[in-house]
Amino acid sequence: MSDFFDRLAPGDAIEGKAFQVSRESIRAFCEASLDYNPLHLDDDYMQGSFGKTSFGGVIMHGMTNFGLLTRMLTDWAYAADAVHRRLETRWLAPVRPGDTIRPSGRIKAKQVTVKSRWVTIDVEMKNERDETVARGEALVEFPQRDATSP
Amino acid sequence: MEAQFETDFWKDAEARAIWDDIVPGAPRKTLPYTLTLDAIQRYCRSVGDLHPLYFDEEHARKSRYGGLIAPPSIHILLMFACTPVDDWMRSPGTINAGQSWSYNKPARPGDTITLAARALDKFIRKGRLFVIHDNVFFDQHRDVICSGRGWTIRPM
Repeated sequence: MSDFFDRLAPGDAIEGKAFQVSRESIRAFCEASLDYNPLHLDDDYMQGSFGKTSFGGVIMHGMTNFGLLTRMLTDWAYAADAVHRRLETRWLAPVRPGDTIRPSGRIKAKQVTVKSRWVTIDVEMKNERDETVARGEALVEFPQRDATSP
Repeated sequence: MEAQFETDFWKDAEARAIWDDIVPGAPRKTLPYTLTLDAIQRYCRSVGDLHPLYFDEEHARKSRYGGLIAPPSIHILLMFACTPVDDWMRSPGTINAGQSWSYNKPARPGDTITLAARALDKFIRKGRLFVIHDNVFFDQHRDVICSGRGWTIRPM
């Protein structure tokens, strides 16, 4: 009998939920993460130049992308009794209050090792203008059916 | 812990190492932190994640985890909770360029978390000052919770 892992194929899509970014959501992330960098709070400071980069106003924490991608991956993995094992991301563009971002994933490869089974997933985050603001790769483990350790 | 947390990152800015001072390989000062259910759930709400493994004790007890857990990305909070006010990760203008994390076991409410952290490398690329930092979070059993690297662009 095949299980969820057996039925997965490269190219299969994973859809995440949309997230509306606001000053309030950024502030809530400051309080939840304890990251109070003025990049996320101080518009006057953000009028300045950051070496070769200028933002013109506050931006969302890059790690909010990371948290939202994680949420998509864990929702998918928990439902399949699988375990989220790795996430690598790069931030490609800033996200600002008023943006709506949505994570997505696509199965890249499956691998069976001596002790377990693994799925590599390409992930990305897009804004409402279909611009990719973050991109990366994840690894999810599908433990053998007699394994119990998380 | 959160009540005493200094939210003004400009304060103590002069005490923090700048790019020139950071020594790859040298350990960063870290602090133990007791992770509370309240802190876990505040983080979860901030990313809209209301999964019952983080909020529903009965659901979590019947799961493979046997109780409530934190989401893997709780290290986002732990990075600031486990470091002191003069840690250079707090320097205003620090820009996060990317991160990679591996997860071994979930953190749980009540865990006492410790961090081993250092700068691993620093370099200049296209006129920007980069530092790579690496980090391992442990629970009170000295089991690895997760490990990861981050790429930051340092303020000029």
